[in-house]
Amino acid sequence: MRKHTSRMLQAFLGGVAMIGLTASASASEIVWARYGDSDTLDPHASTTTLSMQSWRQIYDTLLAFDESGMPRPNMAKSVEVSEDGMTVVFVLNEGLTCHDGTPFDSADVKYTFDRALSEDKPSITKSAWGPISGVSTPDATTIEVTFEKPFGAFVPFMADPFSSMICDSNEAFGDEFGSTKAVGTGPWKLSEWTKGDRIVLEANETYTNYGHPTENKGRPFADKLIIRTVPEAQTRLAGLKTGELDIIEPPLEDVPSIKDDPSMTLHIAEATGQDVFFEFTISRPPFNDERVRRAVAHAVDVDMALDIGFEGLVQREKCPIAAGVFGNDQDFCAQHLAEYDPEKAKALLAEAGYGPDNPIDVTMMTWTGGGRERILQIFQNQLSQVGIKTEIEIMDIGTLNARVKQENEKTEGKATFDMMGWSWYDPDILYQLWHSPGAYSGYNSPELDAMLEDMRSTVDTEARLEIVKKVNAYLLEKAIHVPLYTPGWMWLYVTSADVEGFTIGAFDQPLLMDVKVAE
Amino acid sequence: MFRYLTHRIGTALLTVWITTIAVAMLIHIVPGDPVQIMYAQSQGTTPEQLEEIRTRLGLNEPIWVQYGMFVSRIVQGDFGQTIRGNQPVLDLLIGRLPNTLLLASVSLVIAALVGVVFGFFAAYKRGTAVDTGLMITALIGVSMPHFWLGLILLFVFAVNLAWLPVAGEDWRSLVLPAITLGVANAGIIARLTRSSMIDILNQDFVRTARAKGLHKGTILYRHVLMAGLIPVVTMLGLQFTYMLGGAIVVENVFAWNGIGRLAIQAIFQRDYPLIQGFILIFACLVVTVSLIMDLLYAVLDPRVRLS
Repeated sequence: MRKHTSRMLQAFLGGVAMIGLTASASASEIVWARYGDSDTLDPHASTTTLSMQSWRQIYDTLLAFDESGMPRPNMAKSVEVSEDGMTVVFVLNEGLTCHDGTPFDSADVKYTFDRALSEDKPSITKSAWGPISGVSTPDATTIEVTFEKPFGAFVPFMADPFSSMICDSNEAFGDEFGSTKAVGTGPWKLSEWTKGDRIVLEANETYTNYGHPTENKGRPFADKLIIRTVPEAQTRLAGLKTGELDIIEPPLEDVPSIKDDPSMTLHIAEATGQDVFFEFTISRPPFNDERVRRAVAHAVDVDMALDIGFEGLVQREKCPIAAGVFGNDQDFCAQHLAEYDPEKAKALLAEAGYGPDNPIDVTMMTWTGGGRERILQIFQNQLSQVGIKTEIEIMDIGTLNARVKQENEKTEGKATFDMMGWSWYDPDILYQLWHSPGAYSGYNSPELDAMLEDMRSTVDTEARLEIVKKVNAYLLEKAIHVPLYTPGWMWLYVTSADVEGFTIGAFDQPLLMDVKVAE
Repeated sequence: MFRYLTHRIGTALLTVWITTIAVAMLIHIVPGDPVQIMYAQSQGTTPEQLEEIRTRLGLNEPIWVQYGMFVSRIVQGDFGQTIRGNQPVLDLLIGRLPNTLLLASVSLVIAALVGVVFGFFAAYKRGTAVDTGLMITALIGVSMPHFWLGLILLFVFAVNLAWLPVAGEDWRSLVLPAITLGVANAGIIARLTRSSMIDILNQDFVRTARAKGLHKGTILYRHVLMAGLIPVVTMLGLQFTYMLGGAIVVENVFAWNGIGRLAIQAIFQRDYPLIQGFILIFACLVVTVSLIMDLLYAVLDPRVRLS
């Protein structure tokens, strides 16, 4: 009896081992594991990076971002903005085809615009499309968009996944669209979506890449792309080691050992537009005083903190709009930024009436993950050296967003400031943050409002650049928005040695057309 | 028996009713404007959109009206749409529930088998080194966090030995999470089985059976094990509900696509309709399992029926 059992056990384990081995990814299949799933495949119903990354695979956009984050022609072979900025004309490439075989023409573009701007069920990013007054289609390849007033952020928006082109054949699917059905024109076709587990995509045989910064201009090299959800970072790393997964987001604490491991490659996203920065509660002392805000900026040695905390995985950022976004100019911003200078910090604090007899005691907040707690601990130490006592509070991003707004609306209570992170494809982010009332009801002033409105309605590139610089200088000099580093979240990827051709496009959008997975 | 039944069912319904109140009020317990918190990460949301959501969720109505609206929607099977992605909440939950039930059931079988065998032998060999060894093992099982045990198993069996996949959705992927969840709970069952068995072994009827000259195996199996299992069976019901909770952690480690993982995600994203739906479904599940266990107990132990 005992012998029999042990033989059965052996047979069982042997069987398990064999199945285990055959389950690894096949040659033409890319398995990409992320911590969470897309909320929806409807580009008008979510704003998360996780969702946008999957739209990028299924849909295409009229324009495409190049490596540096600038919009270039893509599905549209040309884009022309009228001199007054009131009209934008796109001309499509010939022969574009939807995944279901129907031709993609100006009617599909109009369908996408109409759907995003509809009265009853608009896109949740409707405001980002701008003050559009009409969309007309003179012929099958021409689209004319007219505006109530000029909108400078429109052209880059047409390269962002929020403006993914949706084929009008999706209309027939009703509520199924974005859930079980999604017909686009992108490099990958939806095959199956098991929510919370995996999105299975197949190569679009007829795909032509007109504008994305990958070498492959035709259909993706691999046959299949599976985007899996594996919430635990250690499990993702384990899956990469066993060959079950090809591309993963790594656990931050394992990055040093991953760098030394020849069986895997670390990729760092660039031009992400992600800006991690300090902002202050200005509704009460001490941060209603510009000198105290500047003192905080002078007190922290950001370069040193980043060296210790991230060991070269992030870059110092000196502009309120991060690397990859129009108008980002490190040298220009450095002239206006309060750089590390603890003596100056002490002098400013003394001038504002703070010192050993009247110490500053504040709460410093940020959101969980991304190695931010460690950075704040270093800052805490540096701030204490100029006499600013800080208490660190770490919370979920949703809570932090709400808390910052609440703090700004209170006129009493302990002083607070926070390390926040935002990402956008255009300097229009500054309008959303700092034009009154602003995302957090924080700092605002009539002069800043005027500058931001000007920035929004200027379409001429040169003129817009000047205004963007002016806004940056203002925010830096008054220490309203103190930039620290970029990128800040979901910016690291690890591929196994079997993977080649992995590209991360601007704004943290992996492009998988070039990827080949070896046996 | 009838009174026992009605009392149990009444308690179950009362529990569910109290849960609906708690769930409906959930949105108001959290400090700050709930809609603002929910949409804090949506960069493009306008104040008009926020206002529309407030109206849709009935947040501008008096609290008792809100509760009425909530209950009338729930009884019609309308659990609302998720904040993120606008998907029907009930469909999402129902879609994931079978995975969690499967995981918890298989784990329960593992826990029961391992636990009863360990407990029974420990009781039989009580006071010996075998007893001590088994109980220390059980204690280790109870004390080991699911998360840690899961990762250890993952690295040993999936990465080093490559016997099983790291994560997935087929039966092979079920093995490691089920063992993780089962082993941790087996410890509790082993300890309970042991004490229950020892209790029975000291009873008069066992001595009588022995005095009658019954075969040792028959005594142990028919008299001791059967009688000693009654408290264990009730415990299994309780364990099952614990396992549903533990599944939340284990599902995350092994990327098992269950309802627990959905819940974690919903909590982090402040997706109130989804959190509400999860708590309600979970509460109903726990109440149903407890009810079944109470009834089973009554069937197994005549004293319960009569009292």
